[in-house]
Amino acid sequence: MAPADGDQSSAVDRRRFVKALGATGLTASSGLAGCLSRGSTGPQTIEIAANTDVQENIGEIQAKLHEVGLSNDIELSAIAGVQSSGSRKQQYNRWLSGNLEQPALFMMDSGWSIPFILRDQLVDISQIRPELADTIQQEYFESFVRSIEGQSGGLYGVPLFPTTGTMLYRKDLVREAGFSPERNNWATEPLSWQRFSEVTKETMDATDTRWGFSFQANSYEGLACCDFKEFTGSWGGSYFGKKANLFGPVGERPVTVDSDPVVNATRMVRTFIEGDTQNPLSSVAADISPRAVLQWQEETSRRPFSNGSVVMHRNWPYAIAIAGAADAFGRDLGVMPMPYGVTEQNATYEGYGGTTSSLGGWHVALNPNSPKRAEAIEVMEAMVEPELQLFLFELLGWLPPRPALFETERMRQVPVMGRYVETLKMTVENSTPRPVTVAWPQQSTKIAQQANAAFSGDGTPSQRMQTLKEQLQAIEEASEPKDAAAGGGGGQSPSRTTSGGG
Amino acid sequence: MAAETGSGRSLSLSSPGRWIESLSDTQFAYLLLTPCLVLFGVIAFWPLLRTFEMSLHADLLYGAERIGPFVGFENYVELLTGERNAALPRPFFDSTQIFTSALTVTIIFTVVSVFFETVLGFGQALILNQEFRGRRWARVAIILPWAVPIVIQGMIFFLLFQPTIGFLVEPLQQLGVFSSTPQANSVESLVIVIVADVWKTSAFMALIILAGLQSIDRSLYDVADVAGASKFERFRTITLPLVLSSVLVAMLFRTIGAMRVFGLIETVSSCSTVPSLSCLVVQAFSSSRYASAATVAFVTAAIIGLVVSVYIVKFADVQGAGGF
Repeated sequence: MAPADGDQSSAVDRRRFVKALGATGLTASSGLAGCLSRGSTGPQTIEIAANTDVQENIGEIQAKLHEVGLSNDIELSAIAGVQSSGSRKQQYNRWLSGNLEQPALFMMDSGWSIPFILRDQLVDISQIRPELADTIQQEYFESFVRSIEGQSGGLYGVPLFPTTGTMLYRKDLVREAGFSPERNNWATEPLSWQRFSEVTKETMDATDTRWGFSFQANSYEGLACCDFKEFTGSWGGSYFGKKANLFGPVGERPVTVDSDPVVNATRMVRTFIEGDTQNPLSSVAADISPRAVLQWQEETSRRPFSNGSVVMHRNWPYAIAIAGAADAFGRDLGVMPMPYGVTEQNATYEGYGGTTSSLGGWHVALNPNSPKRAEAIEVMEAMVEPELQLFLFELLGWLPPRPALFETERMRQVPVMGRYVETLKMTVENSTPRPVTVAWPQQSTKIAQQANAAFSGDGTPSQRMQTLKEQLQAIEEASEPKDAAAGGGGGQSPSRTTSGGG
Repeated sequence: MAAETGSGRSLSLSSPGRWIESLSDTQFAYLLLTPCLVLFGVIAFWPLLRTFEMSLHADLLYGAERIGPFVGFENYVELLTGERNAALPRPFFDSTQIFTSALTVTIIFTVVSVFFETVLGFGQALILNQEFRGRRWARVAIILPWAVPIVIQGMIFFLLFQPTIGFLVEPLQQLGVFSSTPQANSVESLVIVIVADVWKTSAFMALIILAGLQSIDRSLYDVADVAGASKFERFRTITLPLVLSSVLVAMLFRTIGAMRVFGLIETVSSCSTVPSLSCLVVQAFSSSRYASAATVAFVTAAIIGLVVSVYIVKFADVQGAGGF
């Protein structure tokens, strides 16, 4: 009988188990439904994927948006997102590929907005608000607007603020070494690399400062898009020939990284880091940069400058706001345009030479899946107001995307940043966007790897640039639009359609 | 009416109940496993099959579609022959670039880190298995690194080797171990990543091996004492054979983890300097080369599957020899 009892108890257990399972399933599903329904927000709240600056100041930004014309019943909610721009791109890619309805607006780095446009993942603003697109294309910095335009001149977002590479320096130290930045008008008359390196070397020696010139040469996007592009551009060179080739056509443009200007720029940086290198660039002073630049990005390179260990420092305008604050260097901080290797007239490739800054910055783009499109567009319209742009310059140090605003007295009155408006205007006017195409993510990795290796002395500059040329050519070939798949698309056409204005 | 309805309901409930009761134990076990298997099928096998299917298409960089036309095994052929290297941030395999090829970097990382983690973890487990004062605190101290989040661990090792910030850069340079910029160099960065992994994960090995040690019957050691066995003989004839299956399980887990390494590299160094197989997948994906990313992902999964099967065969041998 014992086995029979055992069977009976086992059967009861099974029945209980099935019941319990049913009850658990019901509870779980109702709980899940509760979670999902809680996730929705009110119809008038527009979510924007932005950064911590926006999130921390969302109240003030929203108040200003209302002041410049945004309906009072539209509220803004900001998602801070991750710090690194590359990770944020991946996050947006996942959201947009998953057809999520929120966030409605995305703050997009001008360095990677074009691949999203080519994938039809953003809304063409010029189709639904042609007058808004016209205003932007006519009044904003042209090269900045280009990084949010499609192949046929359509505008896929509202440019928010540009950033450009600038040279920060310690006025007190250079004065102590006997130089006169004001008299020589360093703020708007660019120095040559030769003069710049001599000034740096002499100041280092005269003031016993540990390092002369710091910049970002880690093997990362920032080296390829910005520092190395500035060095090569200032010597009249480029990655893809003349300036008109920046945005393509991929596969048909020449790869020119092995040309003399690019190799000379590489030799110059190598000389800055290690003067006793083979085949140094004799026209510039040697040993002014620490080898540590090979590991430095923006913040790691800024800290030694802020600590007083460096005379000259290349960075973005945000560093000016920090280093120029009253509790930092204050008025002892000088800012000048990037030095040049050859003049524009002597540049090998059209559009380069002279002072050259890399153009970065952020746009605001619209999610095509958002059910709150009308409200989101209203926010975008308010963002075009000059009053808001001046407010953001004051609040966050974001440069206005309109050249005309640089002439206003209000901009000059802004604490710290206002002192450097002339220089900033000059750097934006002399800036070049990074050559963003579908091939750029792979190309920038290779450029950064090879430039970093050449700077470190692992291979000669000409060997490294030759290898880089082969790699870039292979990527160009692998990224050419295939007839069947392209739908008539090439790279980014450099010419704007007539309807685009400008 | 109420009574009728009630009896009707019990009738309808009782038939599946009766069916369940009539199942054999094996059938009932499978019935219980069915939801789990269905769930696994949806969340594990379907994505795996979809990844494989994606890997049979061409990359498509333009337009709304994610992947291009069907190309069969072309992606695999190009990846394994090196023709795809240009489109990847670092080569999949290049015999002239051992320390910057994803396959070799992953293998070096796995072999070296798992070796040191096993040796150190075994040592730690043997110590923790002893009776001594303060053993509880020693256990906490050894296990502590395992509790450190990967991002914090990454920042610790990143900052340690940053010039002007980390205190290790100059002394190690003076000793001739590293250059002044170790994180700009692939070999030195790989060493740093391995050290970071060993620092954290030896504790995991120690935990699993300790569990194995604790399950050994103490009376076996008494027998060994009576037989006059030396400490080494006790270790060789009792401890090692009985704990070996635990060691293999721990090594299996760690090997799988090491072959998939990504987060540690991204936080301590960068995928560009120390490229692992997972780095290639993520970077290909983020540059919209979905088919290439799927191909590398599938090859990575296949390599891990191969390694796992070696362990499983070895594990079966140990179990067979151990007389379990």
